[in-house]
Amino acid sequence: MSKTTSHRGGLSRRSLLAGTASLLASPMIVSSARAQAKPVNIGVIMPLSGANAQFGINSRNGIELVADEINAAGGIKALGGAKINLIVADATSTPTTAGTVAQRLITQNEVTAILGAFASSLTIAISEVTERRDIPLLTMSFADQITGRGFKNIFQIVAKASALGKAQLDYTLAIAQASGAKIDKIAIMYEDTAYGTAQAAGLRAAAKAANIDIAMDDAYPLGITDTTPLINKLRASGAQAVFPVSYLNDSLLLIRTMRQQRITIPAIGGAAGYVIPDFEKGLGEFAENVLSIAPANYDLAPDLTERFRKRFGYFMVHEALEHAVALDVLVQAIEKAKSAKAEDVTIALRGAKFTGGWTKAMTGGAVEFDSTGLNTLSVPVMAQWRNKELVTVWPKDVAKGTAVWKS
Amino acid sequence: MKRWIAILAVIAIAAVLPLLLSPTGYWIRVLTFTLLFAAMAQVWNIIGGLANQTSLGHAAFFGIGAYTSTILVLKFGISPWIGMFAGGFLGGIAALIIAVPTMRLQGHYFALATLAFGEVMRVIANVWTSLTGGPVGLSVPFVPPSIAAYSFKQLLPHAYIALIALIIVTVIFEAIRRSAMGYRLRAIKENPAAAEVIGIDTTKVKLQTAVISGVLMAMLGTLYAQVAVFFDPDTVFSAASISIRVALIAILGGVGTAIGPILGALFIIPVEELMNDLFSSGAAGLSQLIFGVILIAVILWRPRGFITVFDSLMARFSNKARS
Repeated sequence: MSKTTSHRGGLSRRSLLAGTASLLASPMIVSSARAQAKPVNIGVIMPLSGANAQFGINSRNGIELVADEINAAGGIKALGGAKINLIVADATSTPTTAGTVAQRLITQNEVTAILGAFASSLTIAISEVTERRDIPLLTMSFADQITGRGFKNIFQIVAKASALGKAQLDYTLAIAQASGAKIDKIAIMYEDTAYGTAQAAGLRAAAKAANIDIAMDDAYPLGITDTTPLINKLRASGAQAVFPVSYLNDSLLLIRTMRQQRITIPAIGGAAGYVIPDFEKGLGEFAENVLSIAPANYDLAPDLTERFRKRFGYFMVHEALEHAVALDVLVQAIEKAKSAKAEDVTIALRGAKFTGGWTKAMTGGAVEFDSTGLNTLSVPVMAQWRNKELVTVWPKDVAKGTAVWKS
Repeated sequence: MKRWIAILAVIAIAAVLPLLLSPTGYWIRVLTFTLLFAAMAQVWNIIGGLANQTSLGHAAFFGIGAYTSTILVLKFGISPWIGMFAGGFLGGIAALIIAVPTMRLQGHYFALATLAFGEVMRVIANVWTSLTGGPVGLSVPFVPPSIAAYSFKQLLPHAYIALIALIIVTVIFEAIRRSAMGYRLRAIKENPAAAEVIGIDTTKVKLQTAVISGVLMAMLGTLYAQVAVFFDPDTVFSAASISIRVALIAILGGVGTAIGPILGALFIIPVEELMNDLFSSGAAGLSQLIFGVILIAVILWRPRGFITVFDSLMARFSNKARS
């Protein structure tokens, strides 16, 4: 008993001291705060734990890079040099949690806008909250539903999943043709998530339009542990190219099993797990020459993206890049609106063309949202693994190298 | 008499609490989910606590309820209030289908069988795209606010609906516990063979509890869908965030008691939120790690649930009153 009493005494003495100190210091804090413009709170909701944590961390890194650069350069000029204050929160992998987190950032932190949340299902859940509270939400999630529901406060910075799926096929055909090969039979494998299904639908539609036979069209559960049956089916299908759409672990397993079984047909991944450094780290030489569609690629603007590599030690993956662009565009909109009020920013975002800064890193070199909130200028690119780096190989006008096609 | 006054006082406090929170805010959302999870854990408690059958598949019924009402409102414009009963009906049928073959199983075997059933439902919802929208999930449409359409601009009415739901399921739980059925269940729990010998149809009694639990869980699924507004198969058929969580809430609070699930939910849901608020901007996954450590500590401290803290407090209180 006496022990607790003395402990309590210690605590109160300490808190008394701290309280006195803060009381003494408070006038100074207040005055220094007055001298500076009120910081602009921007919410960042990402999956920082669970299966998609790596993508969430990559995204956060991209956003932090841009925020720090803008703050170092004097903050938001139209608001008297107001600093950007990022409020980062974990969406976990549950949409309902993501929605609750969004609600928290809006009411507790009074955020001007929210960036997030990589996975489409999380983004959709957040958008249900932001739409009801009229807070702009900028995202690089692909799913078609994001801008397909007539929401007024959502902005999709990249092409939709169906467009990505279509480009994945069309670009591949063009690349094969350029190297003198012909494709008339393909295989599609995709994970049964929102992203996998939507992109597979785009692939399927494009194949139909191009009159190509889909010899295999299989969905598999996220986190599959044995891909041998899939690969056996692939071998039997006689496909000349395979289009796997998946996050990281599945992509490693699929490509490794394929190559170990000496199936050497070209693999054209569907972004996500196919375009991050861990893909090459996990597969080593098996990664070489694997193609993947991507909404953007870092080699299109090395002057910008090398800053990311310098700070974080790996190349600027597309989700980091697109989130960086999203924040840049958001800040440009705040500058234009001369206000950090959510509704003013939404008006500034819609209809205007944003150029300069990080928007140069996107295909199209600028960002412009249509009435649904989709960035109409973004065109997917095809990237290929070459010596631990991703090289943009298609479309031709932006390509940094020629595709290697070995069938 | 004293007991009733205490219960009424608690309900009165619970009824006033939502009014003190901002009607569009964050804490009212947390409160709503806390009340909903308390109700869900209470429903689980009917089969997990009274019949002593640890189900890890309650997400199946929950998801059926969420999907039924939302599909009905999307495709036919039927109010979720009616959809809730349709979902409850289907949830009851699902409970019957799963209960008939699994009720003979005991302990871990029963838990595993129910776990598998939840997963089966998740896969079906993922694959049956034409009905469920597939992995993309469903959004509850926003219709002009009215009570009849179960649509509100603010979260306040949702908080009250969740509170009423919690009161109703708690009353049902307590009624079953005190009824003849409750005694039969207790007899089965103590010694199934002996219960059979004295003439209790153990299979029938267990089936009844399973169906009641399934119906109520599905109806709560509708309430959840109306609050969360968007859900996908992974959300509502999730083993971790629904099935195991409701069992955890009941176990942490105190299995087989009416107050247990309420105490468990009042602890788990807000603490989980608070951890996310405080730590999630730091190292990735830190908030869940700390939350996990807290859970382990609490279970080590009170292996039989929070109810034991509650009981000892009550005992001390009544002792003092007597002396």
